Amino acid sequence: MFMKLKIHILILLFFLSINLGAQEKYGISSQYKDISFTDFVKKVESILPVKFYYIDDWVKDLKLGDYPDCTTLQCVMDNLLRGTSLYYYIDEFGNVVITNNYAVKVSNTGVEKNNKFLPPSDFSGSAENQHLAGNASVEIGNPAEKNNPGNVTLSGYITNKDTKEAVSGVTVFIKKLSIGTISNEYGYYTMTVPRGIHVVQFSFIGMREKTINLNLNGAGEMNVEMNSVLIPLKETVVSAQKSVTLQRFEVGAEKINITSFKLLPTSMGESDIIKSVLLIPGVQSVGEGSAGFNVRGGSADQNLILLYGAPIYNSSHFFGFFSAVNSDIIKDVTLYKGGIPSRYGGRISSVLDIGTKEGNRNEFAGSAGISPITAHVSLEGPIIKDTLTYILTARTTYSNWIFGLINNPELHNSRASFYDLNGKITYDLNKNNKIDFSAYTSHDSFRFNSDTVYSYNNNIFVLKWRHFFTSRFFSSLSINNSSYNYNISSQAIPNEAFVLSHKVNSTGFKADFNWFLGRNEINFGLDLTRYDVLPGSYLPNNDSSLVIPRTIEKERAWEGALYVEDKFILTDFLSVNVGMRMSSYYSFGPQSVMIYNPDYSKSTSTITDTLNFKSGGVTSKYAGLEPRVSLNFRISDKNSFKINYNRTRQYLHLLSNSTSIAPTDTWKLCDYYLKPQIGDQVAIGFYELLFKNNFEASAELYYKTIKNMVDFKGGTNLIMDDNIEKDIVNVKGKAYGLELVLKKTEGKIRYSIGYTYSRTFIKSLGTFSDEIINSGKWFPANFDKPNDLVVTFNYLFSRRISFSSNYTYSTGRPITYPIATYDISDKLLVTYSDRNEYRIPDYSRLDLSLKVSGNLKSHKIAHPNWTFSIYNLLGRENVYSIYFKNQGEFVNGYKLSVFGRAIPSVTFSFDF
Amino acid sequence: MKHIRQLLLLSLLVFDNSCITPFIPKTNEDKELLVVEGLITDQPGANTIKLSKSLPLGTRNVATPVKGCTVTISDDLNNTFSLSETVAGTYVTDPSIFQGVVGRFYTLHININASDNNHNYESDPIEMKPVPPIDSIYYQKVTIQEGSGNSASQEGCQVYLNTHDPTNHCKFYRWEFTETWEFILPYTVPNKICWISDNSDMINIKNTSIIAEDKIEQYPLNFISNETDRLRVKYSILVNQYSLNEDEYLYWEKLQNLSEQVGGLYDMIPSAVPSNVYCLDDPNEKVQGYFSVSARSSKRIFIRDHFAGVVNPYTDAVCIADTIFGGAAIPNLNIWVWVIIDQPTPPPGFQVITRTKGCYDCTVRGTNVPPDFWTENN
Repeated sequence: MFMKLKIHILILLFFLSINLGAQEKYGISSQYKDISFTDFVKKVESILPVKFYYIDDWVKDLKLGDYPDCTTLQCVMDNLLRGTSLYYYIDEFGNVVITNNYAVKVSNTGVEKNNKFLPPSDFSGSAENQHLAGNASVEIGNPAEKNNPGNVTLSGYITNKDTKEAVSGVTVFIKKLSIGTISNEYGYYTMTVPRGIHVVQFSFIGMREKTINLNLNGAGEMNVEMNSVLIPLKETVVSAQKSVTLQRFEVGAEKINITSFKLLPTSMGESDIIKSVLLIPGVQSVGEGSAGFNVRGGSADQNLILLYGAPIYNSSHFFGFFSAVNSDIIKDVTLYKGGIPSRYGGRISSVLDIGTKEGNRNEFAGSAGISPITAHVSLEGPIIKDTLTYILTARTTYSNWIFGLINNPELHNSRASFYDLNGKITYDLNKNNKIDFSAYTSHDSFRFNSDTVYSYNNNIFVLKWRHFFTSRFFSSLSINNSSYNYNISSQAIPNEAFVLSHKVNSTGFKADFNWFLGRNEINFGLDLTRYDVLPGSYLPNNDSSLVIPRTIEKERAWEGALYVEDKFILTDFLSVNVGMRMSSYYSFGPQSVMIYNPDYSKSTSTITDTLNFKSGGVTSKYAGLEPRVSLNFRISDKNSFKINYNRTRQYLHLLSNSTSIAPTDTWKLCDYYLKPQIGDQVAIGFYELLFKNNFEASAELYYKTIKNMVDFKGGTNLIMDDNIEKDIVNVKGKAYGLELVLKKTEGKIRYSIGYTYSRTFIKSLGTFSDEIINSGKWFPANFDKPNDLVVTFNYLFSRRISFSSNYTYSTGRPITYPIATYDISDKLLVTYSDRNEYRIPDYSRLDLSLKVSGNLKSHKIAHPNWTFSIYNLLGRENVYSIYFKNQGEFVNGYKLSVFGRAIPSVTFSFDF
Repeated sequence: MKHIRQLLLLSLLVFDNSCITPFIPKTNEDKELLVVEGLITDQPGANTIKLSKSLPLGTRNVATPVKGCTVTISDDLNNTFSLSETVAGTYVTDPSIFQGVVGRFYTLHININASDNNHNYESDPIEMKPVPPIDSIYYQKVTIQEGSGNSASQEGCQVYLNTHDPTNHCKFYRWEFTETWEFILPYTVPNKICWISDNSDMINIKNTSIIAEDKIEQYPLNFISNETDRLRVKYSILVNQYSLNEDEYLYWEKLQNLSEQVGGLYDMIPSAVPSNVYCLDDPNEKVQGYFSVSARSSKRIFIRDHFAGVVNPYTDAVCIADTIFGGAAIPNLNIWVWVIIDQPTPPPGFQVITRTKGCYDCTVRGTNVPPDFWTENN
């Protein structure tokens, strides 16, 4: 019915547009206050030579107002229909045609059929050039085409006015037509729109919303510059999100803007990206301040965390108390919990793509700040204005200085510190070519009482070339290198002095192509990654050491993937995203592989043979297809329904046999024994805008299965393990959950309530007794926390002062308790319950923060910002961990609370 | 993992907001598992296999012995040796017919003849590996900084062990030790000098396969804190060194990984460490403990050095003299208090000075019979 009506209107449009001529003025007196539109029509038709055409449904709620200044029908109609999706047109014969969504356009000149089309770009208008009552009015396309039938394509680039950076994730929305799109990572957007006058809204969190009155005659390009706001106060700002949710194809994609996450309360005065991600329904961690996070029942190594497009292998400092990436470099963060686009691969549960800032193109700028634990500084600016820019950020702790002050001999000699550095240079060769080089390094080191020294490092380098073939066909080629290593060394016993190291290094080449073709957005490309893993080396650390230098054989592998993906708008009611990724993996020698007696559980004593692979010999190969499909049904302009399936494959495992991942866990490539992890997820989502679009509600339901996960035989030490396959237990996982969110996203008071019910189970698949966990039954995973509630509340007092708070509640994570003891030669030994049979107490926490900006005048030299936070306001002693110590006579249980009281903090920073 | 925990503690101390409280979990299990504690060696004398039931967490009762079982040991030459039950649950070999031989493989067989559980159990065949002699046991006065806050550093005595195997056969070592020390009460009482013995309660193992020579130097076997009175008079330690095969080494290593501390975020996820003894009738039955087959070498040293600051558990502050004046009966006499002086004084008739019993009678803690190795010369 919807379609049919549209066609009728279009036919009417063509008909009407032929009938040209001046409209007569129909004089009326304004005595129609509060009567219904239908009654009004009856009266007007009785006194004037006019005839109205409309559909009852459109006007049933329409009542006339008081228009004292109106003396014409046109004036009444103008006032009456203002703010609605209705337009009217009065032709020369007195026919009053009401149209919905589409305005009737009348041209004064006939269509010049043979007129040569000018290139669309010649008609591009910059919104900044034409100011009209605060909003811009722009004419796009060849005016000669304006009476041509059909829809045309509107596209363009959105940039930040101050920094000239591309702004991705901007919602471009035409309210009357209920159509919209989102700008991609280059700030490019494209949408198919009927010709005519439209009001186009450009909105994004942290940016001042821009409305452009567009007179669209034909296909064309409209580039838009948006202004950032220091604090997102304008009520229109968040309207971006609701359209985003409806527009996005993926079920379970979330985008967080830096401005919004900086508003969140902090624990140690640090804005922290991973902690913000933990507020998203479906994302959990095993404990506060633990490293890693779990997305929809996936383990922590199943998250692809991308910085500059390269994977980060360790995403935290200080055991997870801080994220490894400084928030100063972050522009925005997108988390895909499901519906992972085909261009991403290599991890099965989620993608956390950290979008980074580019240097300011106009002028030098910077910021600096201190918090109780860290100090940070960032500098940016042009080297060649508008062409070559840089940005540098640095962050470090001064905790070593704090240690020196502690009056405890043990801690006095201890050290714990970290730093991280980010840098990016962007060079615009010309309009169509951009090159940027990015680098990142992070370092942590610990020394406990001058004995064993721990250090670990992340390093990332990325060189990227973006090329624009046409305004609708882009490519991005990049080479990246990412590595992670740790060293543990000790000289405490001279003849056993050692240094233990582990390193993972990957070098990747990526080619991504984006092609906007009519109603299609086609992405295709390839990924090629070379992995080199040093599983472990144990070397003497001084001359007197008797330690035998021992290095576990290096692992080498190639992972390649080709993908193609098409996002297309099938009908106004259904959009589809179909993608396919084909990935393959080869590990190769030199490598020696142990062969075990298949009648026994693998152990050193059941080795029967050794296969020696020569250099370059393929030790294992795996390949598979990863289909990804999303359907987005637009039920109406207020709600949509999405369904999504994706399969993902992962050729890398993080070996961890503790509840939380640790910096000393080792990465392991798939090999002769270890198979790739495969994840399958089906998700459905329903999204609705409520109460004049001020509220956004969503419900997402998912079911996921994971094959070839690893667990370990009891008590196995994984460090320096030559033949890890003998200690591995093959397990599979399943997870399901329901995520409900209600958000109020407009006004001075904003809040969101997210509730998740989710379960994650694991089942061991071994055949021998030491490979069977919980008798081979399904058991809850370490991060199975069924009930999870997150409430956030923001009150924006003014442009300078904002208040925010969040509350989280979750079921306690599962734990394995000791249940019985026995003695063996006077040693008290313990047996355990079934794995994860019990749970630690539930978790609940309330945080507050108040942010005060000293001055908002944009030309003042420095903008000071103060953030006052209280973490765990209620002082609840949440259980960080429950542990059991064997104290000779008894096995005693203890409960550790890390943040066992309210913790205030003050952060000061200023921008210049 | 232990270090990771220390580091974590370290980072928590930086924040200094943490707190630790005792916690007793509520569990609803009452699993009784068969516990096998068995060791046969190449040394003369009876070898013992103990069978018992595990105990619920937090209880410290004597384990229930598993009585009336048929226990045999067989070797790879098809010899079978029966064990006889001397004490309930304790089964011993006949020293006249059985002594372990290096290089032989031994298998343990158990049949529980209980009416509710007539199960058969068997171990893997285990090779007895040779063990080299202990080269030396020696000690050093050391200062150990331990604990946090303002607790003073401890002084004490660290006992080390050196050994090496020139034949490179023994790669995996385990040690057990028994400490014996003499103590003297400061009062003139009949039971004034006694001796105490204590067995090691830590797992002491070492793997030399990662070191170029099969040589262990300065293995820190035992730390004797000055907070005990072990070093006040004379102290002796007897160390037994056992050869292990790799499987048993891994068994002890896993137990060591798990038994120290479990449950924390960075602690190894606990799970049962499988025994080398299996139930033949029910493969799902989990047996605890281990059947150890090891060659053994031993060494004893004496320490009668002077150590400054060794605690005296019998000071007047500990052994509080209490005075009870006449008339009233002395409650708990012979249990908590011991009469030291019974001196009639006028008035009120008589006065009794008491101290806790342990301060007056050394047999409360030890035995007044000197061990046979305890001579004046060493």
